[in-house]
Amino acid sequence: MTDSIGTGGGKPPPVPAVELAGITKRFGAVVACEGVDMVFHRGQIHGILGENGAGKSTLMKILIGLVLPDEGRIVVDGAERRIHDPLVAADLGIGMVHQHFSLVEALSVWENVALGEKGTLDPGAVRERIEEIGEQYGLAIDPDARVGDLPAGLRQRVEIIKCLRRDPQIVIFDEPTSVLTPEESEQLFSSLRNVVAAEGRAVALVSHKLDEMLSAADEISIMRQGRVVDRQVPSETNARKLARSMVGRDVLLRSERAALGLVGGDEQGHKDMGSPGSRGPDSQHPTLRIEEAVARGPGGTKILDGLTIELHRGTIVGLAGVEGNGQRPLGDLLSSLLPLESGRVEVDGNAVPAGRPGAMARAGIGVIPEDRHDSGVVLEMTVAENLVITNPYYVTRRSLIDSKRLAAFAREIIEEFDIQCDGPAAPMWSLSGGNQQRVVLARELMQNPKVLVAAQPTRGLDVVAIEYMSNRLRTAAEEGVAILLISSELEEILDLSNRIVVLRGGRVAGEMSRSEASLENLGLLMGGSTG
Amino acid sequence: MSIATTKVAPTSKTWRRIRIGEWLLLYALSIFGALLIAGTLVEATGGDWLPVLSALLDGSVRRPGRWGETLGVAGPLLLVALGTVVSSKAGLVNIGQEGQLLFGAAVATYFSFLIGGPGPLNVVLILLFGAIGGAAWAGIAAGLLYWRGVPEVLSTLLLVTVSTQTVAYGMRWEWLLLAPQSSRGNRNQVSEQLASNNRLPRPEIFGNEFPLTVYIGLVLALLLAFGLGRTVWGLRLRLLGHNPRAAKRCGVSEKTFGVGALMISGGFAGLAGGAMLAGGGFSFGNYQFMSGFSDNIGWTGLLVALVARERVLLAVPIAFVFACLRTGSSFVGSTGVEGRITDVIQGLLVLALLIPPAVMLLRNIRRAKAAATVRV
Amino acid sequence: MSSFPQAVYDIFTSNSTYINAALFGGLLAFAATGEWVAERAGTLNISVEAMLLAGAFTSAVGYDLTDSVVVALVAGILGGMLVAAIQAEMSHRLSADQFVVGLTLNILIFGLTGFLDREIDPATKTAARWTVPILNKVPLIGKALFSQPWPFYLLYVLIPLSWWLVYRTRWGLELRASGENPQSADVSGIDVNRRRRQAVYYAGLTSGLGGAFLIFVQVGRFDDSIVGGRGFIAIAAVIFGGWTLRGTILGCVVFAAALSFRLSIQGLGYQVNSELLQALPFLVTILGMALFAHRVRPPAALARPFVRGLR
Repeated sequence: MTDSIGTGGGKPPPVPAVELAGITKRFGAVVACEGVDMVFHRGQIHGILGENGAGKSTLMKILIGLVLPDEGRIVVDGAERRIHDPLVAADLGIGMVHQHFSLVEALSVWENVALGEKGTLDPGAVRERIEEIGEQYGLAIDPDARVGDLPAGLRQRVEIIKCLRRDPQIVIFDEPTSVLTPEESEQLFSSLRNVVAAEGRAVALVSHKLDEMLSAADEISIMRQGRVVDRQVPSETNARKLARSMVGRDVLLRSERAALGLVGGDEQGHKDMGSPGSRGPDSQHPTLRIEEAVARGPGGTKILDGLTIELHRGTIVGLAGVEGNGQRPLGDLLSSLLPLESGRVEVDGNAVPAGRPGAMARAGIGVIPEDRHDSGVVLEMTVAENLVITNPYYVTRRSLIDSKRLAAFAREIIEEFDIQCDGPAAPMWSLSGGNQQRVVLARELMQNPKVLVAAQPTRGLDVVAIEYMSNRLRTAAEEGVAILLISSELEEILDLSNRIVVLRGGRVAGEMSRSEASLENLGLLMGGSTG
Repeated sequence: MSIATTKVAPTSKTWRRIRIGEWLLLYALSIFGALLIAGTLVEATGGDWLPVLSALLDGSVRRPGRWGETLGVAGPLLLVALGTVVSSKAGLVNIGQEGQLLFGAAVATYFSFLIGGPGPLNVVLILLFGAIGGAAWAGIAAGLLYWRGVPEVLSTLLLVTVSTQTVAYGMRWEWLLLAPQSSRGNRNQVSEQLASNNRLPRPEIFGNEFPLTVYIGLVLALLLAFGLGRTVWGLRLRLLGHNPRAAKRCGVSEKTFGVGALMISGGFAGLAGGAMLAGGGFSFGNYQFMSGFSDNIGWTGLLVALVARERVLLAVPIAFVFACLRTGSSFVGSTGVEGRITDVIQGLLVLALLIPPAVMLLRNIRRAKAAATVRV
Repeated sequence: MSSFPQAVYDIFTSNSTYINAALFGGLLAFAATGEWVAERAGTLNISVEAMLLAGAFTSAVGYDLTDSVVVALVAGILGGMLVAAIQAEMSHRLSADQFVVGLTLNILIFGLTGFLDREIDPATKTAARWTVPILNKVPLIGKALFSQPWPFYLLYVLIPLSWWLVYRTRWGLELRASGENPQSADVSGIDVNRRRRQAVYYAGLTSGLGGAFLIFVQVGRFDDSIVGGRGFIAIAAVIFGGWTLRGTILGCVVFAAALSFRLSIQGLGYQVNSELLQALPFLVTILGMALFAHRVRPPAALARPFVRGLR
């Protein structure tokens, strides 16, 4: 670790800002964190790297007082503390920049920033402070704007200002760049450098992005399945080593290929080997065609702005882009959840009405939604019921649900897709995220869809689940399904796609085949203002 | 309206038995507490609690013919409760049953004097018109919700008074609801009495008579329980209630199902109103419609559903309990204690019934380190 | 009987119309102001009826025991807050369904006050009248607004105070956050349910005062029918006003005017459609919601209970 270079004698090592020792947290049978030891030093950015589900979020929630650990100690500035409440954490100078979970849309920026503090409300002082922080860290924003009217990128700014306002000594950034372009991310990190260096703060950067860690962190703790499995220093490591630690076995093809792709960006060799979708695109007619789709969001702004995209059977098209550029609306559109102001959607040449309940599904479009809780699964229902909500008629007899057939059907699927659960009657909430995702996948594939939209399909999954999902997608493509892969993970896109389309501002910014793709030209297309 | 309940990991059999024991104890304590408060109130104001309790029991079940009366009240309560369950399952909050019931009864009254035909058919039609009236009234709220975005909790509430006033207006005119002067006697605001062949039969069992409403209610309860659990419609309805976006994706139109659920809910309330009219009995105006006809049955039926936590089969006994309080209260007056005490008892009992689930929930939240749904 | 237009003119130019309107409106304003605060916090408190009734009864008893109007007002506040305690604690601490609690309280308090009234039968009177010089000479509305029994003037303090509390204090900010987005408020360190409870208590305070107002300014004695559904009209006023205080008070004024008009026109011997007039507040509110649906937004979390996930 970056302790003093043992030149003997002299001053003792500085007291770390935060020391976590033996932190353990279980949610029932699921172990979220186990025996986690971690140290954050002042003046340093400590990266916490791990896949989603590795335990990083839970660990940070413990530090910020939203979750109570079962075992372990937290030592802040040398004194052991018990953090049982976000207020306690705030008093200790620990602040976290959340991912949009602490803003009230109906209130203005300054009101949101003032929220959660103590003492008399002084709007003038709050406004001043917002401008100060804005200047200091390059985060300008109008204090009187209504948060609900702001786009995602600016909302994050409010989050950051809100956190920095309290002048925290320890700042936790939880996946901060998911809504930023690569350039904005760079800006953010350079501001962070200032934050850390000038004022001796400690920063914890939680992420699953290798490149971020390498460029921004001073030291990296790698977590996997709730444990810290490795500690590395960026100057002494590289993406492949990090990936290996994250994954734990030598290697899932995806991570290594992706890691290689990131580092080099243009390794031609492996791309044709076992590249996804061994059948070439059937360029006769597209299976899915979206033409000049225009849709507006609640504030009246365009969330899709003339989007045109085509999918052919047996190919995987990867839709790259920074979050907030139309991915969600596209997913919603293909889930029959978004009506269009203008434009068409065609499946096999037949128009499908946008926004009409169930129309897209009936037309043969399967969807693995970005947020399965939002429109994918029903937590309160059983696994069996979740498997048939799109089409109950598999298990009905004269419009009545035959419980035996339902159970048998469910058991078949549980077996085939290796879903870990207590049986067909298990409530959906009792399944882990990965297994819930399998239920969604299974259900969609069972419909023999013409088109499968996979939106962030491996987010929140452990490595085994990711491999499983990726293979399933490849297999589906080989069997002729047209797959639209929407992902904010460039690694995933580069790994699975035949063609890559970049989304920006609700429309296509550019397209290329996999062989033409590189981090540079993708990044260029992805960039541009989002806010 | 359902609260997020914390889930605890599956438990062994003894553990489950202990927990059932805990529940029973909590309920017993709460109910006892409520009765204790009521009893103290009676004593403190110079009365005696024992005669009051006795009167309640007499009035509800003990005296001959009384439990028939009680069942007669329980019938409409159950119907209203069933309707409430339907709208709740769809994720809607309908608190306008009182108005829907009243309007349904008014519509039933109006049409009862227009129809001819054989007796049994008439009765069926009267009930049907009641249901249609109630459904139409709820339909207003449904339309407001789905075409103008007005929250149904607010519109159904406001529509209750509108219903009362609309019906009152109807009671002023002979061409609407008012009985002609000759049949009115010395009462001001009544409708004509239903002809004897337009009434629901009141079969007698062991000396107790009560209208067919009770059987209708029970049958509908069974049908509804089955429908919710075992039909595609029920699955889709519940899907809508749990996750409207997933429902939309799966082809469940929020408009169709939601409007349908709300109108069915109103329809049940209106059916209750029609049944109160055609089922008669002195509890309900003896086959005559009058001002104040709904007599809080709508509100109470809503309460039954809420107390039964929207479980269809649980609504049956709970409707009976509430009915007991109503019929029992008419006997309390003769003990010298002010009859209002039964409102107090009912109120305290409902509050008491709310306490055990709340306590258990809090305890689970504090204790459970089990598989919890933390959706962040 | 004069012609109808003449009658209407007479009504609009008579002092008593405005005085009646002020009395009706005053009651509504007490209840609606508190309910506005409660709904801004995200609670839908349908026990306003019970709060008004309880406040009226306890204030009557308070006066009966001490012959002091001041004590009576305090007693009224306590009565309203007692009902609020049940509503608040059961709905926002014990997570019971707020509609069940509210409805039950209406029944319970109606029964309880009716029951106790028979036993105790408190004697009351209207409070002493205070007249504001000069202002009370303003034509038509002068007497109505400035020459009333003194508890009326508490409104002139209560309304601005409530506005200030909700919009200018931290308490109010947290309250509004709890009503718009309780999850975010929670993560920001605000105790959502505590703020909601406090909002309900505030409603109990103002409605309790409103109940006392009924006795000591308007009616002069207790009877369990004096509230008669006005609590629901107060709720309608909040909705009518689009969840702003200005709008709410406007709603109270409009509804009170309708009530007063009905009284006057019937007093002059005219048979107007009294049912329409009685339903008017509700019809107008529904219509308002339907027409202005896109501009008028309830607090986003209105009527939705908040339970934090497991820690």
